[in-house]
Amino acid sequence: MGRELSDRILSVEHVSKSFPGVKALDDVSLEVGRGVVHGIVGENGAGKSTLMKILSGVYTKDSGTVEFDGQRVERTTPMESLRRGLSIIYQEFSLISSMTVGENIFLGRFREAGGMKGTHQKAGELLGQIGSSISTHKLVSELSTSEKQMVEIAKALSFESKLIIMDEPSSSLTEEELAKLGALIRQMREKGISILYISHKLDEIFEYCDVVTIMRDGHVIDTRPVSELDRGEMVGMMVGRTIENEYPERPRAVGEPLMRVEHLTTGKLKDISFTLNRGEILGFVGLVGAGRTEIVRAIYGADKVKRKEVRIEGKSLKITSPRDGKRCGMALVPEDRKQQGLVLPFSVESNISMANLEKVKRGIFLSPDKERKMAEENIDSLLIKTPSPTAAIVNLSGGNQQKCIIARWLETEPKIFIMDEPTRGIDVGAKYEIYMLMKKAVEAGSSIILISSELPEVLHMSNRVLTIADGRITGEFDPEKVSAQEIMNRAIG
Amino acid sequence: MDAGKRIGNFVKDNLVLVTIMILVLVTAVLEPKFLTIANMGNLMNQFGPLSFVALGMTLAIIGGFIDLSVAGIVSLSAVFTLSMIDVLGQFGALLAGLLAGALLGLINAGVVVSCGALTQAKALFITYGLSAVFSASALLYTDGATQHMSHLENRTDLFQAIGSGRMGFVPVSFLLFVVIMALLHLFLIRTQTGREICLGGANITAAQLAGIPVKRRIALVFTLSGVLSAFGAIVLFSRITTASPLLGANYETNAILAVVVGGTSLSGGRGSVIRTMLGVMLVILLSNCLNLLGVSTYLQSVLKGAVLIIAIWIDRRRVK
Repeated sequence: MGRELSDRILSVEHVSKSFPGVKALDDVSLEVGRGVVHGIVGENGAGKSTLMKILSGVYTKDSGTVEFDGQRVERTTPMESLRRGLSIIYQEFSLISSMTVGENIFLGRFREAGGMKGTHQKAGELLGQIGSSISTHKLVSELSTSEKQMVEIAKALSFESKLIIMDEPSSSLTEEELAKLGALIRQMREKGISILYISHKLDEIFEYCDVVTIMRDGHVIDTRPVSELDRGEMVGMMVGRTIENEYPERPRAVGEPLMRVEHLTTGKLKDISFTLNRGEILGFVGLVGAGRTEIVRAIYGADKVKRKEVRIEGKSLKITSPRDGKRCGMALVPEDRKQQGLVLPFSVESNISMANLEKVKRGIFLSPDKERKMAEENIDSLLIKTPSPTAAIVNLSGGNQQKCIIARWLETEPKIFIMDEPTRGIDVGAKYEIYMLMKKAVEAGSSIILISSELPEVLHMSNRVLTIADGRITGEFDPEKVSAQEIMNRAIG
Repeated sequence: MDAGKRIGNFVKDNLVLVTIMILVLVTAVLEPKFLTIANMGNLMNQFGPLSFVALGMTLAIIGGFIDLSVAGIVSLSAVFTLSMIDVLGQFGALLAGLLAGALLGLINAGVVVSCGALTQAKALFITYGLSAVFSASALLYTDGATQHMSHLENRTDLFQAIGSGRMGFVPVSFLLFVVIMALLHLFLIRTQTGREICLGGANITAAQLAGIPVKRRIALVFTLSGVLSAFGAIVLFSRITTASPLLGANYETNAILAVVVGGTSLSGGRGSVIRTMLGVMLVILLSNCLNLLGVSTYLQSVLKGAVLIIAIWIDRRRVK
C-alpha cells in the first residue's frame, strides 16, 4: 500500500450494495485517473447515483473496497469526504437560497476563511479563477441555474478537491451555458483535478470525457477510452440491446385546424397567437425562461392571464383553471415531474386514476376493482415497469414515472396533449418509448404541443416548430426544411 | 432468528397497538378493577370531546393542513350553542351550533385560500391567528362570564343525553363517535371527494394540474373540521353543564397529539380516522396510567410533549 502517489485518484473494487428487494450495485469496480474526465453513463436505475452516494458517504457499502488518493476509505460522511478532497455537485443543487454566494461557498467554515470579510474575498477569488463575475454578496435565490452551478464548482474548489463528481450537470443549462461548463471542465482537468461526469446526454460524454464507464442494472458493463467507442455501441451497452434510431419516424397525421389561440397576454407573454392542427405535433423552441412553459400553462388555465382567446373546433372557450382546461379536452404533462406531476407517496394506480376518478366509480363509491383494472391495462399497454399497481410511485424510475403520468392523461382521451419536457432526466430506452407513445397519440387523432430543451428531440418529432424568445413568438418553421442552426438563431431572439 | 425478526416487524408496523397493549397491562396490574365492564364504559366516556376534535384534525392534516383554530372554535361554538338553547329550543340550538362551527371553518378556508396560503406552514399561522379571533369573540360574546346550563329555562335533556347519556354501559357520545368515524373513513377511502382531499394533501400542485378543484376541497376540509370541533364543544359543555369562553384552550395540542400518535402523517395525504381512534385511546390510557402512578399533571404535560415528538420522529423516518 504505502502512500506513494499513484496515478489513480480513486479506485473502487468489488463494491456491492443492496436495498430491501433490490441489488443496487453488484461487484462494481472502477478506477479514475488523476486529471482525467471520466464519464459514467447508464439508464436510470443502473446504479450511478448509488455509487456516487457511497463515495460521498451518504450510503455505506455492503462489501468491497474504496481507495481515494491512496487511502482506504471505510465509513465516511459527506463532510469528511469533502475535506479529503472529494466533492459532489448534485443535479438538485445543495445551496441555501436565502444566503449569499460567499456564505454558501464557505458554509460552516467562516472562521477558517477568516470571518465574513475573508469569506467574501476568498469566494470572489475562487469565482474569478473559473471566470465568473457573480457578486459574492448576491443571494443564491437571485442566481440563474448556471450561476448556481458556478457557485457549486467554486465551493468544490474551495475544498481543494482532487475529484469532483458532477451529476447530470447540464440538465437545465442552455446551449451557451453548456459551452461555458465545457471550458470550465477543461480548465479543471489542466489543473490535475479529476472529474466524474455523470450524464444521460451522450453528446457531452463524447465532447468532454476521456474515459467512459457504462453501467447497467448495478453492474459495470465496460470502461473504455471514449475515442474507441461510437454512439451506437455506447447506447447498445447502456440498454443491453442495439437501438438503431433514437427517434421513431416522424408522425404524419396533420389534419384541419383544431385550436386557435389569440392575443394571449400575461405579465411575461406579449400577444401570443397561433393555431394547432388536429393530429399535429407542434414544437416550441426557446431558451429556458423564454416563456414556453408560461404559454402552455396559461392556455391550460394554470396561470392568470391579462387577455386570452381560445377556440377549439371553432367554439370560444373560457378556461380559468386546470379543471376547465381538462374539461375542454386538454392534458398537461408538467415540466417538473416530481413537484407538479406525481403524488409521490401514493401508489402507481392512484397516480394513474387521479385525473379519471369519475371513470372508476361504481355508483357513488370508488371501485378498487375498476381502479386496479385501469392501472393494469395501462401498465400492460405502456410497458410500465413496476412490481405491482400498488407499488409506491416514488420507487419507479423516471421514465416509468413519466409513463404513469402519460397513462393518467391518455385515459381522459385528450384532444390536446401538452408535454413540457416529457423526456427530461429519462434514459435513452424510455425516451424512445415515450416518442412512440406521442406518435400513437397523434395517429389516434390527438394533437400535441411539445416543449423541450433538447433541440434534436423537437426537430425530429415535430411537424411544425414555433420559436419563442422573450415572451413572443419569433418564427414558424418546418423542421424538415430548415436547419437547426437557423431555428436556434431565431429562438435566441 | 426469523421469529424474532417477525415480532420486530410486527412491533414496528403496529407500534400504537403494542403501546396500547402495554399500557393496558401496566394499568391492569396497578389497578385490578381496570378490566371490569364498568370501567370499560368509563374509558369510552373519556373519548368524549377530544375524539371529535381529533377527527376534524385528522381530516385537516390528511388534507395537508394543521387547523390550529379548533381551540377557538370549541370555545366560541360552546358559548354560542348554550346561549341559543333558550332562544331556539334545544334542537334548534344544536343545529345552530353545528352551523356556527361550519361557518367558522369556512372562514378559515376563505382566509387561507384568499391569502394564497396553500402550504401547510402558511396556513398554520392563519389558523393560529383566527383561533385568537374566535377565542376573543367568545369572550366578547359572554363578557367573559361562564354560562350555566342550570340557569336555562328551556329543556336540555337532548344535551344531557349527548353529554352523559348511556345505552347499557356504552356512552352515547362514544356511539356517536364510532358512527361518525366509520362514515368519515368510508368518505375518505371510497368517495371521489375523499380521494381528492388525500391527493391534494400530499401534493396540491399535482392535484390541481390534474384537474382536481383543490380550493373547494380545502373549503370542505376546514368546514368539516369546524363542524366536528363544534360537536366536540357540545359534548364537552353538555357533560360539565357549563360553558366558559376559555373552554377550548389546549384542544389543538391534544388533538394534534392524538392524530400524530395514531400515525397520520404530518406531511399530508396519508392517514386514517381509525388510526386517530387508536391515538385518542393511547392518549387516554397514558394519562389514566400516569394518574394511577401519581405523576403530577405538570410532568404529564412534559411526557405528552415527549410522546408527540417521538411520534413525529417516527413519522419522519417512515417518510424516508
